[in-house]
Amino acid sequence: MPDEADILRAQLALDGELDAEAHRAFERALAERPELAAAYGQFSRLSGALREHAPQEAAPERLRARLEELAAPSRQPRPWHGAALAAGMAGLAAFAGFEAGRIRRDDPTLAALLAGHERAVLSGQPFDVASSDRHTVKPWLAERTTLGAFVPDLGADGFVLVGGRLEILDSRPVPTVVYRRREHLISVVELPLSEADGGATAAQGYHVARWRDGERAYVAISDLDAGELATFAERFAKAAGNAKSTAP
Amino acid sequence: MSEDIGKRRFREIVLPHLDDGWRLARWLVGPEDAEDVVQDAAIRALATLAGAAPVKPRAWWLAVVRNTALTHARKRRGQIWNRADEEEAGDAADPSPDAEAALIAQGEGARVRDALARLPPLLREALMLREVEEMNYREIAAVTSSPIGTVMSRLARARAALTRLLKIEHAG
Repeated sequence: MPDEADILRAQLALDGELDAEAHRAFERALAERPELAAAYGQFSRLSGALREHAPQEAAPERLRARLEELAAPSRQPRPWHGAALAAGMAGLAAFAGFEAGRIRRDDPTLAALLAGHERAVLSGQPFDVASSDRHTVKPWLAERTTLGAFVPDLGADGFVLVGGRLEILDSRPVPTVVYRRREHLISVVELPLSEADGGATAAQGYHVARWRDGERAYVAISDLDAGELATFAERFAKAAGNAKSTAP
Repeated sequence: MSEDIGKRRFREIVLPHLDDGWRLARWLVGPEDAEDVVQDAAIRALATLAGAAPVKPRAWWLAVVRNTALTHARKRRGQIWNRADEEEAGDAADPSPDAEAALIAQGEGARVRDALARLPPLLREALMLREVEEMNYREIAAVTSSPIGTVMSRLARARAALTRLLKIEHAG
């Protein structure tokens, strides 16, 4: 019979709570001690049975519908706190494709991207792949999306690459690159051209810059001030232009 | 304004985890009462979210569901369960001969669900958060407001009771 320590250890191993070294030691012990292997085998069969048979249905539709209704946005137009933004926009005029805009509540794409950015910031996990190396981030995104992501190195301009993640738009993954300037995160989402909409907006305390080049459209979201976000957009677009002109 | 922020956060934080909350409520209070519990929890959540955004949305929402479920269970006559219930794992582990025969006669899926239903709620909760929601010990501890040691011992007791109930044999 496995003793209490064996049972505890087998449970930790099964639950993935041992670090790499402890896990290797556990695997060696498994080979040497049949009673430990027995406890482990028993737990993993139970785990398999639970994952297969435990009730795990989704919430009833009527409950979901009630809660969605409970949290539906109210219909009054939101006052646009745009004075500060308008000041920042002066600098944007020089950059083709930008103009100050009012947040469009009926723009589901923007709403989804804003939600994605805020969730990423709130969750403390703004990226699925954390890396300051564009040669890591770019292939990670390319493998998982149909759009190849453009990941410029903007470190010299004070925008540090920190990682990438996927946003889901219309049930489709779109590549999102995350940069940081001081403590502010910037999410840059690449979209097919058809979904592009020019302009800069502000929503819920975030600023949004949108631009496009010949092939792609971009949406950048950040709590940076509008001027700095415009600078970011400009540098990003310039890097994209350079990349294209040097491409074969 | 703040009401709108609350609603927006609710849509972003709670709705994506609605199924998780529903399952947790089910495991704690059973399918009949789970719907009421989740709805009450949602109303509490909405009020809180108007003023603050949680750092760990899923764990926070599940904790709200859990607290609501506990309040609900305490209020209900004849359905009070508490720490004392949790200690009764021994009963679940030693079913009467009749119950045992009934378990054996069923298919595996039904046997697993039946055995789970016999577990004390807090043991079932810990096990389901681990096996179905795939949370790690730290996350389970956060949702259940328990020390990690308690999480580990609940898991061990839940598993011991279930392996006996389901007669999962020692391989060695």
